[in-house]
Amino acid sequence: MNYIRFIQDNIPLILEYTKAHFSLVLWAVLISLVLWVPVGVLITRSEKWANRVLGIANTIFCIPSLSLFAVMVTIPFLGLGRRSALVALVLYAMMPLVRNVYQGVKVVDKSVIEAARGMGMNYWRILWEIQLPLATPVIFAGFRITVVMTTGIAAIATYIGERNLGRLISEGLTRFNIEMIVDGALLIAFIAIALDTMLGALEKKIVPRGLRVHRGH
Amino acid sequence: MNWMRFQDALFHRAPAALAVHILMVLISVVVAVVISVPLGVVLTRPRFRRYGFIVLNVLNMMQTIPGLAIVALAMPLLGLGLKPTIVALVVQGLLPIARNTIAGLYGVNADVKEAALGMGMPAKKILYEVELPLAMPIILAGIRTSAVYVVSVGTLAAYIGGGGLGDLILTGLNMFWSEFLIVGAGLGAVLAIALDRALAYLEYRITPPGMSSE
Repeated sequence: MNYIRFIQDNIPLILEYTKAHFSLVLWAVLISLVLWVPVGVLITRSEKWANRVLGIANTIFCIPSLSLFAVMVTIPFLGLGRRSALVALVLYAMMPLVRNVYQGVKVVDKSVIEAARGMGMNYWRILWEIQLPLATPVIFAGFRITVVMTTGIAAIATYIGERNLGRLISEGLTRFNIEMIVDGALLIAFIAIALDTMLGALEKKIVPRGLRVHRGH
Repeated sequence: MNWMRFQDALFHRAPAALAVHILMVLISVVVAVVISVPLGVVLTRPRFRRYGFIVLNVLNMMQTIPGLAIVALAMPLLGLGLKPTIVALVVQGLLPIARNTIAGLYGVNADVKEAALGMGMPAKKILYEVELPLAMPIILAGIRTSAVYVVSVGTLAAYIGGGGLGDLILTGLNMFWSEFLIVGAGLGAVLAIALDRALAYLEYRITPPGMSSE
Protein backbone atom coordinates (compact mmCIF):
# COMPACT_ATOMS: atom_id res chain seq x y z
CA MET A 1 0.00 0.00 0.00
CA ASN A 2 1.66 3.16 -1.26
CA TYR A 3 -0.67 5.37 0.75
CA ILE A 4 0.36 3.89 4.06
CA ARG A 5 4.02 3.88 3.08
CA PHE A 6 3.85 7.55 2.26
CA ILE A 7 2.62 8.30 5.75
CA GLN A 8 5.25 6.04 7.32
CA ASP A 9 8.03 7.70 5.34
CA ASN A 10 6.93 11.21 6.16
CA ILE A 11 5.88 11.08 9.77
CA PRO A 12 8.12 13.99 10.92
CA LEU A 13 6.86 16.20 8.10
CA ILE A 14 3.22 15.35 8.74
CA LEU A 15 3.66 15.98 12.46
CA GLU A 16 5.21 19.35 11.73
CA TYR A 17 2.32 20.28 9.43
CA THR A 18 -0.23 19.06 11.97
CA LYS A 19 1.38 21.16 14.66
CA ALA A 20 1.34 24.27 12.49
CA HIS A 21 -2.25 23.54 11.51
CA PHE A 22 -3.49 23.27 15.05
CA SER A 23 -1.55 26.26 16.32
CA LEU A 24 -3.25 28.35 13.62
CA VAL A 25 -6.67 26.91 14.47
CA LEU A 26 -6.11 27.40 18.18
CA TRP A 27 -5.12 31.05 17.83
CA ALA A 28 -7.95 31.75 15.41
CA VAL A 29 -10.54 30.18 17.70
CA LEU A 30 -9.16 31.93 20.79
CA ILE A 31 -9.16 35.35 19.15
CA SER A 32 -12.63 34.71 17.75
CA LEU A 33 -14.00 33.79 21.17
CA VAL A 34 -12.49 36.84 22.84
CA LEU A 35 -13.76 39.09 20.08
CA TRP A 36 -17.13 37.71 19.05
CA VAL A 37 -18.70 36.48 22.28
CA PRO A 38 -18.84 40.00 23.78
CA VAL A 39 -20.15 41.33 20.46
CA GLY A 40 -22.88 38.70 20.49
CA VAL A 41 -23.85 39.65 24.03
CA LEU A 42 -23.68 43.37 23.30
CA ILE A 43 -26.01 43.30 20.32
CA THR A 44 -28.79 41.67 22.35
CA ARG A 45 -29.40 45.16 23.75
CA SER A 46 -30.31 46.76 20.45
CA GLU A 47 -32.41 45.22 17.71
CA LYS A 48 -31.10 47.68 15.15
CA TRP A 49 -27.46 46.88 15.80
CA ALA A 50 -28.18 43.18 15.95
CA ASN A 51 -29.58 43.28 12.44
CA ARG A 52 -26.64 45.28 11.15
CA VAL A 53 -23.96 43.12 12.75
CA LEU A 54 -25.61 39.85 11.76
CA GLY A 55 -26.03 41.18 8.22
CA ILE A 56 -22.32 41.94 8.02
CA ALA A 57 -21.46 38.53 9.47
CA ASN A 58 -23.68 36.79 6.92
CA THR A 59 -22.14 38.71 4.06
CA ILE A 60 -18.60 37.90 5.15
CA PHE A 61 -19.56 34.26 5.52
CA CYS A 62 -20.67 34.19 1.88
CA ILE A 63 -17.26 35.24 0.57
CA PRO A 64 -15.35 32.25 -0.81
CA SER A 65 -12.48 31.35 1.51
CA LEU A 66 -9.80 31.50 -1.15
CA SER A 67 -11.08 34.95 -2.12
CA LEU A 68 -10.94 36.24 1.42
CA PHE A 69 -7.42 34.94 1.88
CA ALA A 70 -6.43 36.51 -1.45
CA VAL A 71 -7.89 39.88 -0.48
CA MET A 72 -6.11 39.80 2.87
CA VAL A 73 -2.80 39.23 1.12
CA THR A 74 -3.16 42.47 -0.83
CA ILE A 75 -3.55 44.53 2.35
CA PRO A 76 -0.04 45.88 3.02
CA PHE A 77 -0.05 45.42 6.80
CA LEU A 78 -1.09 41.76 6.50
CA GLY A 79 0.75 40.33 3.51
CA LEU A 80 1.54 36.66 3.02
CA GLY A 81 1.55 34.43 6.06
CA ARG A 82 -0.01 33.91 9.39
CA ARG A 83 -1.42 37.36 10.00
CA SER A 84 -3.62 37.26 6.90
CA ALA A 85 -4.70 33.71 7.69
CA LEU A 86 -5.67 34.68 11.23
CA VAL A 87 -7.66 37.73 10.18
CA ALA A 88 -9.57 35.77 7.53
CA LEU A 89 -10.34 32.88 9.88
CA VAL A 90 -11.50 35.22 12.64
CA LEU A 91 -13.77 37.02 10.17
CA TYR A 92 -15.29 33.70 9.14
CA ALA A 93 -15.91 32.72 12.74
CA MET A 94 -17.98 35.87 13.22
CA MET A 95 -21.10 34.34 11.69
CA PRO A 96 -21.48 31.14 13.75
CA LEU A 97 -20.24 32.68 17.00
CA VAL A 98 -22.04 36.02 17.02
CA ARG A 99 -25.26 34.48 15.76
CA ASN A 100 -25.28 31.67 18.29
CA VAL A 101 -24.35 33.86 21.24
CA TYR A 102 -27.01 36.36 20.22
CA GLN A 103 -29.69 33.71 19.76
CA GLY A 104 -28.71 31.87 22.91
CA VAL A 105 -28.91 34.94 25.10
CA LYS A 106 -32.00 36.24 23.35
CA VAL A 107 -34.12 33.12 23.74
CA VAL A 108 -33.69 32.93 27.53
CA ASP A 109 -37.15 32.85 29.00
CA LYS A 110 -38.37 36.38 29.81
CA SER A 111 -40.06 35.25 33.01
CA VAL A 112 -36.77 33.88 34.35
CA ILE A 113 -35.13 37.25 33.81
CA GLU A 114 -38.07 39.00 35.38
CA ALA A 115 -37.85 36.73 38.40
CA ALA A 116 -34.14 37.53 38.72
CA ARG A 117 -34.84 41.22 38.46
CA GLY A 118 -37.54 40.86 41.07
CA MET A 119 -34.96 39.27 43.35
CA GLY A 120 -32.90 42.44 43.02
CA MET A 121 -30.21 41.26 40.59
CA ASN A 122 -28.64 43.94 38.43
CA TYR A 123 -27.92 43.70 34.70
CA TRP A 124 -24.46 42.18 35.05
CA ARG A 125 -25.50 39.54 37.53
CA ILE A 126 -28.46 38.57 35.38
CA LEU A 127 -26.10 38.27 32.42
CA TRP A 128 -23.47 36.24 34.27
CA GLU A 129 -25.65 34.07 36.44
CA ILE A 130 -28.78 33.59 34.37
CA GLN A 131 -28.47 34.43 30.68
CA LEU A 132 -25.01 33.08 29.87
CA PRO A 133 -25.41 29.76 31.73
CA LEU A 134 -28.78 29.19 30.10
CA ALA A 135 -27.33 30.10 26.71
CA THR A 136 -24.39 27.70 27.08
CA PRO A 137 -25.81 24.94 24.86
CA VAL A 138 -26.47 27.27 21.93
CA ILE A 139 -23.13 29.02 22.38
CA PHE A 140 -21.35 25.67 22.51
CA ALA A 141 -23.07 24.60 19.30
CA GLY A 142 -21.67 27.74 17.69
CA PHE A 143 -18.25 26.99 19.12
CA ARG A 144 -18.35 23.50 17.67
CA ILE A 145 -19.25 24.76 14.20
CA THR A 146 -16.48 27.36 14.46
CA VAL A 147 -13.80 24.86 15.42
CA VAL A 148 -14.69 22.35 12.70
CA MET A 149 -15.07 25.04 10.05
CA THR A 150 -11.83 26.78 11.01
CA THR A 151 -9.94 23.49 10.82
CA GLY A 152 -11.22 22.98 7.30
CA ILE A 153 -10.59 26.49 6.02
CA ALA A 154 -7.17 26.64 7.67
CA ALA A 155 -6.02 24.05 5.12
CA ILE A 156 -6.67 26.56 2.35
CA ALA A 157 -4.35 29.04 4.07
CA THR A 158 -1.51 26.94 2.74
CA TYR A 159 -1.86 28.90 -0.50
CA ILE A 160 -0.95 32.11 1.28
CA GLY A 161 2.14 30.64 2.87
CA GLU A 162 1.03 28.62 5.88
CA ARG A 163 2.93 25.35 6.19
CA ASN A 164 0.08 23.14 7.37
CA LEU A 165 -1.81 20.02 6.33
CA GLY A 166 -3.16 21.79 3.26
CA ARG A 167 0.43 21.80 2.06
CA LEU A 168 0.20 18.06 1.44
CA ILE A 169 -2.65 18.69 -0.99
CA SER A 170 -1.15 21.73 -2.68
CA GLU A 171 2.30 20.17 -3.08
CA GLY A 172 0.76 16.89 -4.14
CA LEU A 173 -1.18 18.69 -6.85
CA THR A 174 1.85 20.56 -8.18
CA ARG A 175 4.03 17.46 -8.11
CA PHE A 176 1.22 15.24 -9.30
CA ASN A 177 1.92 12.95 -6.37
CA ILE A 178 -1.31 11.01 -5.90
CA GLU A 179 -0.31 9.45 -2.57
CA MET A 180 0.42 12.86 -1.13
CA ILE A 181 -2.91 14.31 -2.29
CA VAL A 182 -5.02 11.41 -1.10
CA ASP A 183 -3.27 11.13 2.25
CA GLY A 184 -3.53 14.87 2.82
CA ALA A 185 -7.21 14.99 1.92
CA LEU A 186 -8.08 11.94 4.01
CA LEU A 187 -6.12 13.26 6.95
CA ILE A 188 -7.92 16.60 6.85
CA ALA A 189 -11.30 14.91 6.42
CA PHE A 190 -10.56 12.54 9.27
CA ILE A 191 -9.49 15.35 11.61
CA ALA A 192 -12.62 17.36 10.82
CA ILE A 193 -14.93 14.40 11.45
CA ALA A 194 -13.09 13.42 14.62
CA LEU A 195 -13.21 16.95 16.02
CA ASP A 196 -16.90 17.26 15.21
CA THR A 197 -17.70 13.91 16.85
CA MET A 198 -15.66 14.72 19.94
CA LEU A 199 -17.19 18.15 20.39
CA GLY A 200 -20.61 16.65 19.76
CA ALA A 201 -20.08 14.17 22.60
CA LEU A 202 -18.87 17.00 24.82
CA GLU A 203 -21.91 19.04 23.87
CA LYS A 204 -24.17 16.26 25.09
CA LYS A 205 -22.25 16.08 28.35
CA ILE A 206 -22.25 19.73 29.32
CA VAL A 207 -25.82 20.49 28.32
CA PRO A 208 -28.44 19.93 30.99
CA ARG A 209 -31.02 17.34 29.98
CA GLY A 210 -33.86 19.79 29.82
CA LEU A 211 -31.96 22.16 27.60
CA ARG A 212 -30.94 19.98 24.65
CA VAL A 213 -31.10 21.91 21.39
CA HIS A 214 -30.93 20.88 17.79
CA ARG A 215 -27.94 22.05 15.85
CA GLY A 216 -28.93 24.85 13.53
CA HIS A 217 -28.33 24.54 9.83
CA MET B 1 -1.00 48.94 -8.45
CA ASN B 2 -0.35 48.43 -12.13
CA TRP B 3 -3.23 49.87 -14.12
CA MET B 4 -2.46 47.92 -17.32
CA ARG B 5 -2.43 44.67 -15.44
CA PHE B 6 -5.64 45.55 -13.68
CA GLN B 7 -7.31 46.20 -17.03
CA ASP B 8 -5.93 42.97 -18.42
CA ALA B 9 -7.35 41.05 -15.47
CA LEU B 10 -10.72 42.74 -15.50
CA PHE B 11 -11.42 42.94 -19.22
CA HIS B 12 -9.52 40.06 -20.75
CA ARG B 13 -9.36 37.34 -18.15
CA ALA B 14 -12.34 37.96 -15.90
CA PRO B 15 -15.31 37.62 -18.31
CA ALA B 16 -14.38 34.09 -19.39
CA ALA B 17 -13.44 33.04 -15.86
CA LEU B 18 -16.68 34.41 -14.48
CA ALA B 19 -18.69 32.65 -17.20
CA VAL B 20 -17.00 29.31 -16.44
CA HIS B 21 -17.55 29.85 -12.74
CA ILE B 22 -21.25 30.63 -13.13
CA LEU B 23 -21.70 27.68 -15.49
CA MET B 24 -20.00 25.31 -13.10
CA VAL B 25 -22.03 26.56 -10.13
CA LEU B 26 -25.31 26.37 -12.05
CA ILE B 27 -24.72 22.82 -13.31
CA SER B 28 -23.59 21.63 -9.88
CA VAL B 29 -26.50 23.15 -8.01
CA VAL B 30 -29.06 21.89 -10.53
CA VAL B 31 -27.63 18.37 -10.41
CA ALA B 32 -27.49 18.51 -6.62
CA VAL B 33 -31.14 19.58 -6.45
CA VAL B 34 -32.20 16.88 -8.91
CA ILE B 35 -30.48 14.22 -6.79
CA SER B 36 -31.14 15.39 -3.27
CA VAL B 37 -34.74 16.61 -3.31
CA PRO B 38 -36.13 13.25 -4.51
CA LEU B 39 -33.76 11.53 -2.08
CA GLY B 40 -35.16 13.63 0.74
CA VAL B 41 -38.72 12.90 -0.34
CA VAL B 42 -38.12 9.15 -0.51
CA LEU B 43 -36.47 9.14 2.89
CA THR B 44 -39.44 10.78 4.54
CA ARG B 45 -42.01 8.32 3.13
CA PRO B 46 -43.28 5.90 5.77
CA ARG B 47 -41.62 2.91 4.09
CA PHE B 48 -38.11 4.34 4.28
CA ARG B 49 -38.59 6.55 7.27
CA ARG B 50 -36.30 4.60 9.55
CA TYR B 51 -33.38 5.13 7.15
CA GLY B 52 -33.96 8.88 7.21
CA PHE B 53 -32.25 9.34 10.54
CA ILE B 54 -29.23 7.29 9.51
CA VAL B 55 -28.84 9.12 6.19
CA LEU B 56 -29.17 12.45 7.98
CA ASN B 57 -26.37 11.52 10.34
CA VAL B 58 -24.15 10.36 7.51
CA LEU B 59 -24.83 13.59 5.62
CA ASN B 60 -24.07 15.64 8.71
CA MET B 61 -20.77 13.85 9.02
CA MET B 62 -19.89 14.34 5.37
CA GLN B 63 -20.72 18.00 5.70
CA THR B 64 -17.82 18.44 8.08
CA ILE B 65 -15.31 17.31 5.45
CA PRO B 66 -13.58 20.45 4.18
CA GLY B 67 -14.08 21.50 0.57
CA LEU B 68 -10.39 21.37 -0.23
CA ALA B 69 -10.27 17.70 0.77
CA ILE B 70 -13.18 16.80 -1.51
CA VAL B 71 -11.74 18.72 -4.45
CA ALA B 72 -8.39 17.08 -3.84
CA LEU B 73 -9.93 13.61 -3.69
CA ALA B 74 -11.80 14.16 -6.96
CA MET B 75 -8.54 14.60 -8.85
CA PRO B 76 -6.95 11.15 -8.38
CA LEU B 77 -10.30 9.48 -9.02
CA LEU B 78 -11.49 11.45 -12.03
CA GLY B 79 -8.52 13.34 -13.37
CA LEU B 80 -8.13 17.01 -14.18
CA GLY B 81 -10.58 19.44 -15.70
CA LEU B 82 -14.11 20.69 -15.40
CA LYS B 83 -15.78 17.29 -15.01
CA PRO B 84 -14.12 16.20 -11.75
CA THR B 85 -14.71 19.72 -10.47
CA ILE B 86 -18.41 19.46 -11.08
CA VAL B 87 -18.55 16.05 -9.41
CA ALA B 88 -16.78 17.45 -6.34
CA LEU B 89 -19.10 20.44 -6.25
CA VAL B 90 -22.17 18.23 -6.56
CA VAL B 91 -20.97 16.12 -3.63
CA GLN B 92 -20.50 19.31 -1.62
CA GLY B 93 -23.82 20.77 -2.69
CA LEU B 94 -25.91 17.66 -2.03
CA LEU B 95 -25.74 17.74 1.71
CA PRO B 96 -27.45 20.98 2.72
CA ILE B 97 -30.29 20.44 0.25
CA ALA B 98 -31.00 16.84 1.25
CA ARG B 99 -30.82 17.75 4.90
CA ASN B 100 -33.19 20.66 4.56
CA THR B 101 -35.60 18.67 2.39
CA ILE B 102 -35.81 16.00 5.06
CA ALA B 103 -36.08 18.56 7.86
CA GLY B 104 -38.70 20.56 5.94
CA LEU B 105 -40.86 17.53 5.18
CA TYR B 106 -40.58 16.25 8.75
CA GLY B 107 -41.59 19.69 9.93
CA VAL B 108 -44.93 19.71 8.12
CA ASN B 109 -47.65 19.65 10.72
CA ALA B 110 -49.17 16.19 11.05
CA ASP B 111 -52.64 17.70 11.50
CA VAL B 112 -52.42 19.36 8.08
CA LYS B 113 -51.54 16.04 6.46
CA GLU B 114 -54.36 14.32 8.28
CA ALA B 115 -56.78 16.99 7.14
CA ALA B 116 -55.66 16.46 3.55
CA LEU B 117 -56.08 12.72 3.96
CA GLY B 118 -59.55 13.29 5.40
CA MET B 119 -60.46 15.35 2.35
CA GLY B 120 -59.73 12.27 0.27
CA MET B 121 -56.40 13.26 -1.21
CA PRO B 122 -54.19 10.38 -2.34
CA ALA B 123 -50.64 10.22 -0.96
CA LYS B 124 -49.16 11.61 -4.15
CA LYS B 125 -51.43 14.64 -4.11
CA ILE B 126 -50.70 15.28 -0.45
CA LEU B 127 -47.01 15.31 -1.28
CA TYR B 128 -47.30 17.68 -4.23
CA GLU B 129 -50.02 19.99 -2.99
CA VAL B 130 -49.52 20.04 0.77
CA GLU B 131 -46.16 18.80 1.93
CA LEU B 132 -43.80 20.18 -0.72
CA PRO B 133 -45.30 23.69 -0.81
CA LEU B 134 -45.17 23.91 2.98
CA ALA B 135 -41.60 22.62 3.07
CA MET B 136 -40.50 24.80 0.17
CA PRO B 137 -39.04 27.71 2.18
CA ILE B 138 -36.81 25.34 4.11
CA ILE B 139 -35.77 23.48 0.97
CA LEU B 140 -34.93 26.81 -0.65
CA ALA B 141 -32.88 27.79 2.37
CA GLY B 142 -30.90 24.58 1.80
CA ILE B 143 -30.41 25.42 -1.86
CA ARG B 144 -29.18 28.87 -0.84
CA THR B 145 -26.64 27.46 1.61
CA SER B 146 -25.55 24.98 -1.01
CA ALA B 147 -25.19 27.61 -3.77
CA VAL B 148 -23.00 29.86 -1.65
CA TYR B 149 -20.92 26.89 -0.62
CA VAL B 150 -20.48 25.72 -4.20
CA VAL B 151 -19.33 29.19 -5.32
CA SER B 152 -16.78 29.10 -2.53
CA VAL B 153 -15.45 25.62 -3.23
CA GLY B 154 -15.60 26.45 -6.94
CA THR B 155 -12.71 28.88 -6.52
CA LEU B 156 -10.58 25.93 -5.41
CA ALA B 157 -11.39 24.18 -8.67
CA ALA B 158 -8.59 26.07 -10.40
CA TYR B 159 -6.13 23.81 -8.62
CA ILE B 160 -7.48 20.75 -10.38
CA GLY B 161 -7.78 22.52 -13.72
CA GLY B 162 -11.46 23.38 -13.46
CA GLY B 163 -10.94 27.03 -14.36
CA GLY B 164 -13.25 29.71 -13.06
CA LEU B 165 -12.39 32.68 -10.88
CA GLY B 166 -9.87 30.60 -8.95
CA ASP B 167 -7.66 30.82 -12.04
CA LEU B 168 -7.26 34.56 -11.54
CA ILE B 169 -6.50 34.11 -7.86
CA LEU B 170 -4.02 31.34 -8.65
CA THR B 171 -2.22 33.55 -11.17
CA GLY B 172 -2.28 36.42 -8.70
CA LEU B 173 -0.77 34.32 -5.93
CA ASN B 174 1.86 32.72 -8.12
CA MET B 175 3.04 35.94 -9.77
CA PHE B 176 2.21 38.04 -6.74
CA TRP B 177 0.08 40.37 -8.82
CA SER B 178 -2.35 41.98 -6.42
CA GLU B 179 -4.48 43.25 -9.34
CA PHE B 180 -5.37 39.69 -10.32
CA LEU B 181 -6.06 38.82 -6.69
CA ILE B 182 -8.40 41.74 -6.24
CA VAL B 183 -10.32 41.12 -9.45
CA GLY B 184 -10.64 37.35 -8.93
CA ALA B 185 -11.41 37.49 -5.25
CA GLY B 186 -13.71 40.49 -5.61
CA LEU B 187 -15.78 38.90 -8.35
CA GLY B 188 -15.98 35.66 -6.37
CA ALA B 189 -17.25 37.53 -3.35
CA VAL B 190 -19.73 39.55 -5.41
CA LEU B 191 -21.02 36.41 -7.11
CA ALA B 192 -21.55 34.59 -3.80
CA ILE B 193 -23.22 37.54 -2.12
CA ALA B 194 -25.45 38.26 -5.12
CA LEU B 195 -26.58 34.62 -5.28
CA ASP B 196 -27.26 34.61 -1.56
CA ARG B 197 -29.33 37.79 -1.76
CA ALA B 198 -31.26 36.63 -4.82
CA LEU B 199 -32.14 33.29 -3.25
CA ALA B 200 -33.01 34.99 0.05
CA TYR B 201 -35.45 37.20 -1.84
CA LEU B 202 -36.96 34.18 -3.57
CA GLU B 203 -37.25 32.46 -0.22
CA TYR B 204 -39.02 35.49 1.21
CA ARG B 205 -41.43 35.64 -1.72
CA ILE B 206 -42.25 31.95 -1.67
CA THR B 207 -42.96 31.67 2.05
CA PRO B 208 -46.72 31.59 2.54
CA PRO B 209 -47.96 34.47 4.70
CA GLY B 210 -48.52 33.30 8.23
CA MET B 211 -45.68 30.83 8.30
CA SER B 212 -42.62 32.98 7.75
CA SER B 213 -39.68 31.08 9.21
CA GLU B 214 -37.92 32.30 12.37
